[in-house]
Amino acid sequence: MSFLPNNATVGQRLRAAVTSPNSGVVSVIVLVCIFATIKSSVFISVNNGFNIASQMVFILLLALGMTIVLISGGIDLSVGSVMGLCAGVVAKLMIDGVPMVIAMLLAVAAGAGLGMVNGLIITKLGLPDFVATLAMFGVARGLLYLWTAGTPFLDYMTDTYFVIGGLRRPLGYLTVPIIVALVATLIVAVTLRFTPFGRHLYGVGSNSHGAMLSGVSVPRVRLLAYVCSGLLAGVAGVLLAGQTTAVAPDLGTGYEVYAIAAAIIGGAALSGGRGRAIGAVIGTLTLAVTANAMNIAGVDPTWQQVVTGLILLLSVVLDRASTLLRSRVVQIPIQPVAATTAATAR
Amino acid sequence: MWEIMSSRSTDAALLVDDQDTGPQGSVVLEARGAGKRYPGVIALDDVSISMRRGEIHALLGENGAGKSTLIGILSGITEPDSGEIIIDATPIKFSNAAQSQSVGITTIHQEQTLAPDLTVLENIFLGRELRRGSLLGRFLLDERAMRKRVEHLVEEFGLTAEDLRRPAGTLGALKQHAAQILKALAFDARVVILDEPTSGLADHERMSLFENMRRLRDRGVAILWVTHRLDELFGLADVITVLRDGRNVATVDPGTQTPDSLVRLMVGRRRSAVADNSSQARGTRWSGPEEEILRLESVSRAPLVRDVDLVVKRGEILGIAGIAGAGRTELARIILGADRADKGQISVNGKQVRIRNPRDAYNLGIAIVPEERKTQAVLGDFSLAKNISISDLSRVTRAGMIIDRSAERKLANVYVRDLEVKTSGIQQKIRNLSGGNQQKVVIARCLFTRPALMIFDEPTQGIDVAAKNEVYRLIYEFVDAGGGAIVISSELPELLRVSDRIVVMREGRVAGEVAAGPAQSEDERSDRAEVIMALAVRSSS
Ligand SMILES: Nc1ncnc2c1ncn2[C@@H]1O[C@H](COP(=O)(O)OP(=O)(O)OP(=O)(O)O)[C@@H](O)[C@H]1O
Ligand SMILES: [Mg+2]
Repeated sequence: MSFLPNNATVGQRLRAAVTSPNSGVVSVIVLVCIFATIKSSVFISVNNGFNIASQMVFILLLALGMTIVLISGGIDLSVGSVMGLCAGVVAKLMIDGVPMVIAMLLAVAAGAGLGMVNGLIITKLGLPDFVATLAMFGVARGLLYLWTAGTPFLDYMTDTYFVIGGLRRPLGYLTVPIIVALVATLIVAVTLRFTPFGRHLYGVGSNSHGAMLSGVSVPRVRLLAYVCSGLLAGVAGVLLAGQTTAVAPDLGTGYEVYAIAAAIIGGAALSGGRGRAIGAVIGTLTLAVTANAMNIAGVDPTWQQVVTGLILLLSVVLDRASTLLRSRVVQIPIQPVAATTAATAR
Repeated sequence: MWEIMSSRSTDAALLVDDQDTGPQGSVVLEARGAGKRYPGVIALDDVSISMRRGEIHALLGENGAGKSTLIGILSGITEPDSGEIIIDATPIKFSNAAQSQSVGITTIHQEQTLAPDLTVLENIFLGRELRRGSLLGRFLLDERAMRKRVEHLVEEFGLTAEDLRRPAGTLGALKQHAAQILKALAFDARVVILDEPTSGLADHERMSLFENMRRLRDRGVAILWVTHRLDELFGLADVITVLRDGRNVATVDPGTQTPDSLVRLMVGRRRSAVADNSSQARGTRWSGPEEEILRLESVSRAPLVRDVDLVVKRGEILGIAGIAGAGRTELARIILGADRADKGQISVNGKQVRIRNPRDAYNLGIAIVPEERKTQAVLGDFSLAKNISISDLSRVTRAGMIIDRSAERKLANVYVRDLEVKTSGIQQKIRNLSGGNQQKVVIARCLFTRPALMIFDEPTQGIDVAAKNEVYRLIYEFVDAGGGAIVISSELPELLRVSDRIVVMREGRVAGEVAAGPAQSEDERSDRAEVIMALAVRSSS
């Protein structure tokens, strides 16, 4: 995203750093960390870093899917419910004696399938993204309630599942959920950056009519975006069931809000066309770090919500400001016929 | 890429260079009896057209004649109600743009197809990305190959290698337009369709586009080309098809035609008066006091506008000339309050003012017909009537709050009639109008606010010959009644014709001023044109 020539001066580089995407958010994280370190000595410790990472993974997986959907110009309100339902699928199947691997695959497939239903409703029936996924939000949650009959699924954990859920850690701090989240981030990053599908996502979100005229199959791209989101929610559900050791009917409630917040803090635009995998990481990190800092500092939970909301605002505002600054910085080189004169005239 | 045509993929050579699909002049693509209806209009009625290898086929017609509809059908965007498309003597049905592309048809559409958030390079290849060769690589983009493919074309169209890496949305309208054209030239197509590619291009860019069109023709590509500028046709088009009211009225050899005869074909007997020059003269000029409407003093906004001084008086049309990036549109944006000036003073009617946003400008009586109508001016889902009244609802409200629909309709109808907007009714959604007719509605909206100063940024972009004169007439009427106008245009002949004075901008500064005005001889005109060009591109200061 940087337009700097190779021979840029230090000043130019500095300015580019300040105005690069997400710089606003990164500075928020740094500020919170400094604040928290001053307030308490536990903040910067390996253990605490690990805590933050464990909290992050589920939101991160959802935020990655959300970023994909947001880039394509949509929104997915159903991810929290879908994640909960998929957790229910693994738990129930394992209780019923289905082998773990198959149960997990089925759960992930269920997530992708629900995403596909979202996508089909939107592309085939032409319902607005908001409405379709809001309906799925309710339906998936309702199904889990009906299925559990109000009481959590219990007693499905196996030894391997403890490892997968990250409760047992043969590799030390590198738990399975963290590995999965890292791999997912990498895959999403590569997909967005280096594949035609990724390119089409940005194209559709940025100008869907133009993309259609250019020969992109817009409905297919949008459908696939929701399938990705559902699939990632399925993966998150499988891991979450392993961590909670019980699937309560309200498992994953409210996660869609975190996922959207994380994606937007990370630079994804509700209007489509913008967003990056690393942004989802940064956004999730921001949420997790601040929540954690507030816990340590003993901030009242009700206030924590207020602060989280303010951080969302602050990071978006900062990003806006840096975009404005950037638009001025970047426009400097006008190259009419007399490019050389323009350069020397300054 | 060529799966659809797999049965004939042997002769449908991918690369045009070593094409052996037939001699120059054999028919590549053909539409037979194509028809398309929309509620209230027959957009296309039994139109047949054939395109041959190595031939530039010009498609002419008034706004709303059906040109873009025909192109939509050939490029797989629009499904015809009747008729068939024949490629290499085989009938084929397109259900989307990708299929049309896959048989070697490349289209530049009239409307904006760039995705503002993608870089120019990404835009050029959107939908047809080049992939790496290896087995796994098929899923990966080949950035280097894409860059290489367009590198040599970039500079010809006023872009730089740097521009390729910028988001398209950060470029000015001209560069965006250049990017659209590269979208077509980057591929080895058998048929290239260009819907008004030159509207809004500066002269040297048009020349390099024509150069490229010739080059494609020599390589055996068939080109279908829509334009409203008849002066471009001669010497370039090999054959001309004229559409009128959705029907193919003539397919002729340009050698047998003159601009006048073409206009007569386009408009029919109905309005043949427009072809003669008498209706273009300016009426009685404003004879009131010589007041300044607008004065700019050393207005700057780094880096695009620097120390600009300007005056517009009552009853005067000030032309602004300059090449792409000279800061003309940026200056207009400052006057309109869309961007804030860093320094300098703006006075309106002799009083110093601060214009912080377009609302302020409106209150001061300043209106603009913007350069990019699709993104800046048209409210696509609104009806024509609502689009016209939106900027000044006070004219159609009662008691200051309730919109009087019938008054709105009545007033809107007046403008629609004056500007000869082709529509099935003023309740039609504006997005369903043809491109040129949308432009007319935008002009109508500005006139509707009864401003004191109007800024026209490329006012006749995409407007047909007859309607162009109509637009000029409206500008004249407006200033002769005491208004002031600024006209920004890349068409020098147009500027020379409508302006009283022309200010030339270069690199954000005023480079000089040239007197213009009507009643000039041809020689005088070309002299002035030369002076302006010299001012606009002179490289040392
Ligand atoms: N989607 C649509 N719905 C209804 N009417 C339409 C639609 N698209 C085009 N039309 C109508 O079809 C007619 C032909 O339009 P078309 O865009 O083909 O004209 P054109 O020759 O390209 O004109 P221009 O020179 O202004 O671009 C117009 O009257 C237009 O209003
Ligand atoms: Mg058209």
